[in-house]
Amino acid sequence: MLRFIAQRLFAALITIWIATIAVTLLIHLVPGDPVRIMYAGFQTTEAEIEAIRQRLGLDQPVWRQYFMYLGRVLQGDLGHSIVGSQPVLDTLLQRFPATLALTVSALIIAVVVGGTLGFFAAYRRGTVWDFGAMTLAIVGVSMPHFWLGLLLLFLFSMTLGWLPVGGSGWRNLILPALTLGLATGAVIARLTRSAMIDIFDQDFVRTAHAKGLPKTLVLYRHALRSGLVPIVSMLGLQFAYLMGGAIVIENVFAWNGVGRLAIQAVFARDYPLIQGFILFFATVVALVSVIIDVTYALLDPRIRYGT
Amino acid sequence: MSAPAEPLAAEARVAPRRVLWALLRSPSGAVGLAIVLLLIVVALLAPAIAPYDPYRMASGPRLAAPSWDHWMGTDQLGRDVFSRVVYGSRLTLMIGTIAVGISLTAGLLLGLIAGYAGGWPERILMRLVDVVFSFTEIVIALACLAILGVGLINAMIAIGIASIPFYARITHSVVLVEKNKPYFEAAIAAGASHLRLIFLHLLPNVIPTLIVVGTLGVSTAVLAAAGLSFLGLGAQPPQPEWGFMLSSSRDLISRAPWMMIFPGLAIAITVLGFNLLGDGVREVLDPRQRAR
Amino acid sequence: MKVRKTLALPSRATLLGSAFVMAGLPAMAGGDLIWARYGDIDSLDPHRATSTLSMQVWDQIYDTLLAFDEDGVARPNLAESWEVSEDGLSYTFTLQEGVICHDGTAFGAEDVKFTIDRAFGDNPSLTRTSWGPITGVEVVDDLVVTVSLDSTFGAFLPFLADSFSSIVCASNADATDFGTRTAIGTGPFKLVSWVQGDEAVLERNDDYRNFGKPVENAGPVHIDRLIVRTIPEPQTRLAALRTGEAHIAEPPFDDIPDIQASDELNLVVAENTGQNVFWQYTVSRAPFDDIRARQAVAHATDPEMAIEIVYGGTNQREWCPIAAGVFGNDQEFCAQYGYPYDPDRARELLAEMGYGPGNPLETTMYVWTGGNRHILAEIFQAQLADVGIQASIEIMDIGTMNARVREDNERTGTDAPGTFNMMTWGWYDPDILFALWHQGGAYAGYQSDELDAMLELTRELTDEDARLAAVQDVIRYLMTNAIHVGLYTPGWEWIFALRPEVEGFKVGAFLHPMFQDVRLTD
Repeated sequence: MLRFIAQRLFAALITIWIATIAVTLLIHLVPGDPVRIMYAGFQTTEAEIEAIRQRLGLDQPVWRQYFMYLGRVLQGDLGHSIVGSQPVLDTLLQRFPATLALTVSALIIAVVVGGTLGFFAAYRRGTVWDFGAMTLAIVGVSMPHFWLGLLLLFLFSMTLGWLPVGGSGWRNLILPALTLGLATGAVIARLTRSAMIDIFDQDFVRTAHAKGLPKTLVLYRHALRSGLVPIVSMLGLQFAYLMGGAIVIENVFAWNGVGRLAIQAVFARDYPLIQGFILFFATVVALVSVIIDVTYALLDPRIRYGT
Repeated sequence: MSAPAEPLAAEARVAPRRVLWALLRSPSGAVGLAIVLLLIVVALLAPAIAPYDPYRMASGPRLAAPSWDHWMGTDQLGRDVFSRVVYGSRLTLMIGTIAVGISLTAGLLLGLIAGYAGGWPERILMRLVDVVFSFTEIVIALACLAILGVGLINAMIAIGIASIPFYARITHSVVLVEKNKPYFEAAIAAGASHLRLIFLHLLPNVIPTLIVVGTLGVSTAVLAAAGLSFLGLGAQPPQPEWGFMLSSSRDLISRAPWMMIFPGLAIAITVLGFNLLGDGVREVLDPRQRAR
Repeated sequence: MKVRKTLALPSRATLLGSAFVMAGLPAMAGGDLIWARYGDIDSLDPHRATSTLSMQVWDQIYDTLLAFDEDGVARPNLAESWEVSEDGLSYTFTLQEGVICHDGTAFGAEDVKFTIDRAFGDNPSLTRTSWGPITGVEVVDDLVVTVSLDSTFGAFLPFLADSFSSIVCASNADATDFGTRTAIGTGPFKLVSWVQGDEAVLERNDDYRNFGKPVENAGPVHIDRLIVRTIPEPQTRLAALRTGEAHIAEPPFDDIPDIQASDELNLVVAENTGQNVFWQYTVSRAPFDDIRARQAVAHATDPEMAIEIVYGGTNQREWCPIAAGVFGNDQEFCAQYGYPYDPDRARELLAEMGYGPGNPLETTMYVWTGGNRHILAEIFQAQLADVGIQASIEIMDIGTMNARVREDNERTGTDAPGTFNMMTWGWYDPDILFALWHQGGAYAGYQSDELDAMLELTRELTDEDARLAAVQDVIRYLMTNAIHVGLYTPGWEWIFALRPEVEGFKVGAFLHPMFQDVRLTD
């Protein structure tokens, strides 16, 4: 088991390492002179631009810049943002709890709603209920989640006045979490249904039935438990999608997480912040997938470590 | 966001005409096909369908509610929302085609090469693809836009690039299955060239899976482009792009909800159409799925 | 120096605004006031940002040597008095006694020296050009400080009333996180915390004393805390105001008539904003290296019609390159050299250049985000298309736009057509024209030795009449050459909607919001 965890961690480190290369390249792929684009603000003189170039090491060869960057990253220094020259890592860490709160609550909503719907559809396979649940799911998958967000905003905040908008309290979290959770729940419902159908078709469930065990017992003891395995295995990918979805949803609801920061950074072409965001995002997604892989391994005794 | 498609079984190769018939018999396939065809017709006949010039200001009063004259109301410059939604279908089709075109072509090539080559090139290439895949499409698209700058064409390119890993993975997994089949081993034994092996033997077997994935991919691309335009990173005024129309409706959500409702509905229906069509094609091409 | 005040704001809004200066009603002591804005501070370091949103918060934390009165004239503030040497090259300021920095240290000449040295140091202030030709600062005693200049500088005193000259206490030198977590000043509020993009929390400075700001309260503010929150979406801000989650906010433009009609909220309109929205062009290459192309754009667009559609009556047509209310602004004078809406003339100019119906002039218009400017841009885009100019629109953040415009001007050896943009600057003095158009200025735009000499003169002259003549020469030059074409002076962004319990809120000249008199009644 330890070896398995170590392997997964190593894979995550490789991902993060490649991300550092990608973000270093990013700045060199930008057409034009990065220093001029980023720092040539109001009343900057040529001499100052040159000084900035030297201070940031942008006059050095690319490979050297990369190692300088890597060295700084290892010390937790992701540079300073252009707008307001704030330390990038601090800014990201300051905003991350909001994003985490949003994604985790959305994940819970998605698993509860999507899982129930998918399980139910599989259980009543071929009936009107199955058809209804799956229609709901495909409509959910097809709806742009920012549009769903606007509709909920229009309904619950503007028309009914039940929920506040734009703030950082838990009540402000309800709508964005619901939006993101329902959108992801639709995907999870579809995945759960096909996973559960596979399980219902498996021999041990049929045998249990044949042995005359009560239906609910079969459901809970056998089917649901084994059903969890494929569902947990897809949570890693779903979490990454949730983090991605959060970028848009945070902007719809003015939820102050890293996603909103990222969009502001792209608009302001604040490259150190964009670089920091990508690296941070990759790290979080990689670490979460390690955690999920390990959970998966613990849940499924049949898993062969080291594959 | 669509469920990752599994590679299809080899028996998937069916004659095109039979596919169409089977598609029409499956409920989701028929509905999906109808929606997609409708979208294409609307896009082609936009000038005939739209009652007003989508760019003309003061086609009606500003912020007028839906009425007989303006079925979907007007926007803050008095432009007819219905006409804009109709013309928006052209942009949407363009986004779907270009973005999927880029990712499909590049992903197909990467997957074929990696799968065929095997050994360390395959390991490195696919490892890289996996890593990039884990960054998620929206972050890759944001990085691309940070380089390219905002705009609808750039957004299409960014989405296309962002989805390459997805198509590469699918192609690769199909190639792995095909490589171990007797016909392929026989072709190698017969001394077929690399190009022949790749393009005459592997490619035709990858195509059916990619049709399904590509159809579902259009819906992902349309959603992503609408999202980027909504954030202000894609379409720019006065383009009647649906996501962009949604974003300009935000300030007026309580005064003119029709500006928010109809473009959103248009996106949802389009995406639904491609999702249903993709599901339908999968059911038809994959007997395993059909059996369910 | 005298600043003339021109007011042509809509009477309805102005009336409502003045209703708020009333005071003396029974008021609840203290309380937290939440101020919701469309964007956040870029930095708490007054040397690291230029945005109005940043300045408006600096005003609450820091104080300035001079302060603008209601008419925009610089008056004594932290500096109780000053003397100017005969040659105009040295200013000696005597500071108020007993002022205390937020960390408890006594404020004095060292703090002034620290601030100015810092503005000219290794990582100089973004606006150091506007500080003027300062050569040195000398501490004479605890409360007397002398600033020496290289040449006479007519805009020096007004600059010292502006937020860019905020006095930063010397005790900040020890803070590594100055500008983000530390900001020690002598202003009415102390910094408690700041989460960028979310909110800044400020608490009352009990040692605060007001000397020169045009408010009634000379002591500490009445409210306990000021919470400055960022809510970019206009509808969300309005919802927050209605539910009481915010006390003061900029309302969505389209809802202003409804707000005016109801008693639910009140409006305060900023007057004398100093803001100027204008066309400027990439003059370094085609098509805008040709004056006819610049003039064609100006003639083809109708700002009066556009601002009427987008902003109703809350913005004014502006002919000059500097805003109404700023020294040197004169509508009649500027209109003589302006470009009235004349699509036929625009077509003629384009035809002369070889453009025509089959061969439109293609270019890109940059516009910055917010303030419904994208709608304004769409109207201009349609008007331009009408005369045969195909302008695609690119919407971007103001900081990006500043950088892009400069980059475009500096880029050479490209076939890409030049761009033009709808730029905005807010300033308290015509010295902004020096910052914008002197060679090596903000945008590396129009380069001319003749213009440079004229601009230098506007700085060196300190006599009011002589300076006015020099400023008008510059205005005439900028306008006849179609370098800086004024469009309008924004008012709407600076309309503040207030909940009825907020009393005593004021916005001074050049957009300085003042909370000294604010009370929250029950």
